[in-house]
Amino acid sequence: MPDLGIEVLFKGTNMLRLLQGLWVAMRISLISIAVSIPLGIIVGALMTVKNMAVKAVSKVYLEVIRIMPQLVLLFLVYFGTTRAMGINLSGELASIIVFVLWGTAEMGDLVRGALISIPKHQYESSQALGLTKSQTYLYIIIPQTLRRLLPLSINLITRMIKTTSLVLMIGVVEMLKVAQQIIEANRMSSPNAAFGVFLVVFVLYFLACWPISMLARYLEKKWS
Amino acid sequence: MNWEFIIKYLPLYQRAAILTVKIGVIGIVFAVLVGLVCAAVQYYKIPVARQITAVYIELSRNTPLLVQLFFLYYGFPKIGVRLSAEVCGVVGLAFLGGSYMAEAFRSGLEAVDDVQKESAFSLGLNSRQILGYVILPQALSTSVPALVANIIFLLKETSVFSAISLMDLMFTAKDLIGLYYKTTESLFLLVVFYLLILLPVSIVGTLLERRLRYAGFGD
Amino acid sequence: MKNLKKFLTLGLTAALTLALTACGQSAATSSAEGSQAAASSQASEAAEASAAEDTNAIYRTLDEIKESGTINIGVFSDKNPFGYVDENGEYQGYDVYFANRLAKNLGVEANFVSTEAANRIEYLQTGKVDVILANFTVTEERAQEVDFALPYMNVALGVVSRNDKVIDSLDNWNPDDSIIVISGTTAETYLTSNYPDIPLQKFDSYATAKEAFQNGTSVAWANDNTEVIAFSLQNEGYTVGIPSLGSADTIAPAVSKGNTTLLDWINEEIKTLGQENFFHADYEATLLDTYGSEYEDSLVVEGGETK
Repeated sequence: MPDLGIEVLFKGTNMLRLLQGLWVAMRISLISIAVSIPLGIIVGALMTVKNMAVKAVSKVYLEVIRIMPQLVLLFLVYFGTTRAMGINLSGELASIIVFVLWGTAEMGDLVRGALISIPKHQYESSQALGLTKSQTYLYIIIPQTLRRLLPLSINLITRMIKTTSLVLMIGVVEMLKVAQQIIEANRMSSPNAAFGVFLVVFVLYFLACWPISMLARYLEKKWS
Repeated sequence: MNWEFIIKYLPLYQRAAILTVKIGVIGIVFAVLVGLVCAAVQYYKIPVARQITAVYIELSRNTPLLVQLFFLYYGFPKIGVRLSAEVCGVVGLAFLGGSYMAEAFRSGLEAVDDVQKESAFSLGLNSRQILGYVILPQALSTSVPALVANIIFLLKETSVFSAISLMDLMFTAKDLIGLYYKTTESLFLLVVFYLLILLPVSIVGTLLERRLRYAGFGD
Repeated sequence: MKNLKKFLTLGLTAALTLALTACGQSAATSSAEGSQAAASSQASEAAEASAAEDTNAIYRTLDEIKESGTINIGVFSDKNPFGYVDENGEYQGYDVYFANRLAKNLGVEANFVSTEAANRIEYLQTGKVDVILANFTVTEERAQEVDFALPYMNVALGVVSRNDKVIDSLDNWNPDDSIIVISGTTAETYLTSNYPDIPLQKFDSYATAKEAFQNGTSVAWANDNTEVIAFSLQNEGYTVGIPSLGSADTIAPAVSKGNTTLLDWINEEIKTLGQENFFHADYEATLLDTYGSEYEDSLVVEGGETK
């Protein structure tokens, strides 16, 4: 068995730094998702409004954001904003902005889908039962929407965590960059460290995302 | 905006776009194949293979493509497996996309009601005919929206290929920024070329989706 | 419905194109405004200081840096032994040693920002860092975009290859072989303009380039000769077949174009540090382990004076 270089992770504070790198990624996605959910609900609700102009604007926003690779958006925001507006953003802030823009679009689409998936007869039946409009939403529509929405939005969290690996490319020191630094600092003593260290990064990402995916699946099964 | 610069480096972007599309398409074709195999294994509940596909799907869906590629391109040569960047790109895309495609096919297959199979059987169709004429046409048309979404998703994911030294659109833009400091122009070309690739796919996808809705039975 | 979709698609493309073109134009005008504002604010003193902030002065002046208590310094985090991160997460290396001293003499904390070669100019032009100390070779093209201070190191280009196939010339190149370069380095510029027929395998960071070179992706790696020599000394099985290529250049700190207060201060520092032979001490602290004392005199530039 050749030396696979996992031992470099036990030198100094290397393993801790790797985990801190993961935390940077998690922090970016958790902040972004926390902001995206309320914004996404608003955008999603706006998309079901009858007003054509509102609908068109939200549709264009959704399409623009969803068609561009996230990496391109990161570059546009990170380098583009300073050039165009003179606002200087740190890599982390730029990432949060991009993830919020993207998360809001995705969330908005999910909300829209969940809202229109509630059959019309639900509204009609509640009206027939004498419920007021706000009662209909509070007791009938929103609970059903939430059940459809929750598993999907939990899935969005794992998608965000995975996408945070891209922020390496705009200079944020997250897990992959720390991994590269560790490999670089130990190139002489462990030339094969790239295998072991990247394997550990792979496993750590899996451990971060897998339980969240499982939770989403469990909720989906339970409520379907 | 420096138009001279844009015209001068247009061919470079063209070449990069061709590379992006080429590796993207090959990767997606393999992803579809992997997806079909996985979906079939799960549909027919083949022992052992079923557990292996389940593990594969979890691994593929819960790790980022960038990390998969790093491991494949920089890590694997340490144990003697040396793949070119192009091959890594295709393998990475197939590894990531396979699980998403499998999911799309699975939901399509599950959407075909048992009644349909039973009715077809009682009409005297053999199992191959049932698969070919009853199950697959309905399953595939149900899968189309998910398939199109996956194709767009995978084409977008190709942007991380720059990390393994493939001269795709992303790397070309980054490289030109580093060489000639023309950020605005380089980013402008980047966006235009991604739109040229992704917008047609998105539009064709929407049209196809609408067309196939008629194929549904009984709604 | 069909028309709506068409309309949307059209609108979307038009909007994006417009937005981007507008971005480009406003970028051009705003940077012009920025430098004007900077010039005028210098002329009309403190009353204008807050106005300068509003009108996009991208960089921070020496006083602003002092006031904030930290200086943002762009360094490499994967270019051993010039700029890298050790196993305790501390930045180390020849550039970093100098950076720490600058921060200390300025009386502020050093905040290190990890950079890649291709981003260095961008980081200065967008004010993401105050100064770049990332082994930045002075070239005419770069000097049009940023302001270089006095040099602190000599450099040329070099090419390293494996012992079993040492490359000592770039002439009669076999078109099936490629050379690894790092995007945004002088090696890339030099080979692109002087040897356009040699296939280049480009990487965006030192870490990935070295990894790929060790993995046998290409027959050679072209970079600063200081770095390839260090690589051949640190790793077994490699020879620098071409130790000096292109012109003899220098490495210097760089600041955003027009940031004269910071530039002048750094120049003064470099001169003052020369009196205590600071860069020789830097060499001995950070590079001696790799190079031995053999390269000390040819590599170090003391007091900003090249011989």
